[in-house]
Amino acid sequence: MSGGKSMRHTNLHDVELAGLAGAGDRGAFGELVRRHGSAVRGLVRRMGAANAEADDVAQDAFLAAFENIADYRGEGTFAGWVKRIAVRQYLRRLQRSKRLAAISAETAELEVSAGGVESLAVGKIDLDAALNALTLPERLSVGMCYGAGLSHVEAAEALNLPLGTVKSHVKRGLEKLRIRLASVSDVAAKGGVVHG
Amino acid sequence: MAELEFERRLERMFADTPSFSDSDAFATAVEGRLDRGWMMRRWMIGTAGVVGGVFGTSQLLVSNLVGRVEDASDGSAKLLSASIAQLKPSLNILALMQSDTLLVWLAGGLAVVALGFVLTRVIEEI
Repeated sequence: MSGGKSMRHTNLHDVELAGLAGAGDRGAFGELVRRHGSAVRGLVRRMGAANAEADDVAQDAFLAAFENIADYRGEGTFAGWVKRIAVRQYLRRLQRSKRLAAISAETAELEVSAGGVESLAVGKIDLDAALNALTLPERLSVGMCYGAGLSHVEAAEALNLPLGTVKSHVKRGLEKLRIRLASVSDVAAKGGVVHG
Repeated sequence: MAELEFERRLERMFADTPSFSDSDAFATAVEGRLDRGWMMRRWMIGTAGVVGGVFGTSQLLVSNLVGRVEDASDGSAKLLSASIAQLKPSLNILALMQSDTLLVWLAGGLAVVALGFVLTRVIEEI
């Protein structure tokens, strides 16, 4: 019985599934989680969360999405909608643990990870590795704007920072990513190992 | 122009998330939490209903409402009887009723049914 129901769910569009979930069909919502869980978890990881924390945040985001499913009216993708919720959940978590305080300090230039691209073999580097070169504020700002589709204004509001500060973080982050990703492409073309 | 192109490329890279091998387990965990939340909500509503019912019943007993209603019913019946006797002396409606208390219990039963209906609707809405 439930198997047949699950089969029925797999053939439905996200908006239809969201409608069913709004009527209390938790199986339909489970199908949405199955479809978009990885995308939401992946985004939170890319914003700097450890794997377990990212999974917790993503779970909380999906639960919040279920509670507020009536707010989703099919404008934009369902994954995008949940990603925005997840981003805000993650920021709240950072705020609670005082980790967001570092972002307020303009001088905060702590690297999220000391790992650069030097030791990475060609072809292994990807967006995740390149993001490690960014500071936490840059990583959050870039993730919010390019991963969750928030505007600079929305990101500034979510981070509780001046718009100009967020724009600076995004600009610096993009510059670093451009260099990292471009250098990898160049070295890959030459068939060597990335240095600096 | 190149900057815009890079930004679009970045958006595509962000959107291109590989599916995790444990995505089914993740979905099951979320469904489990949803079920637990739902069960907890049902228990809370049920508990609130029982507590409310016990409190309401105790208040009814303490205030001796049944006795008061019976007294009021007696008074009303007498008044009604007198009025009907004045209007149509030949018709004795009250004779059809076995007891005034029957009316009280009937009204009480209807009230319980109505309360149950309202409670069911509230639970459905939640």
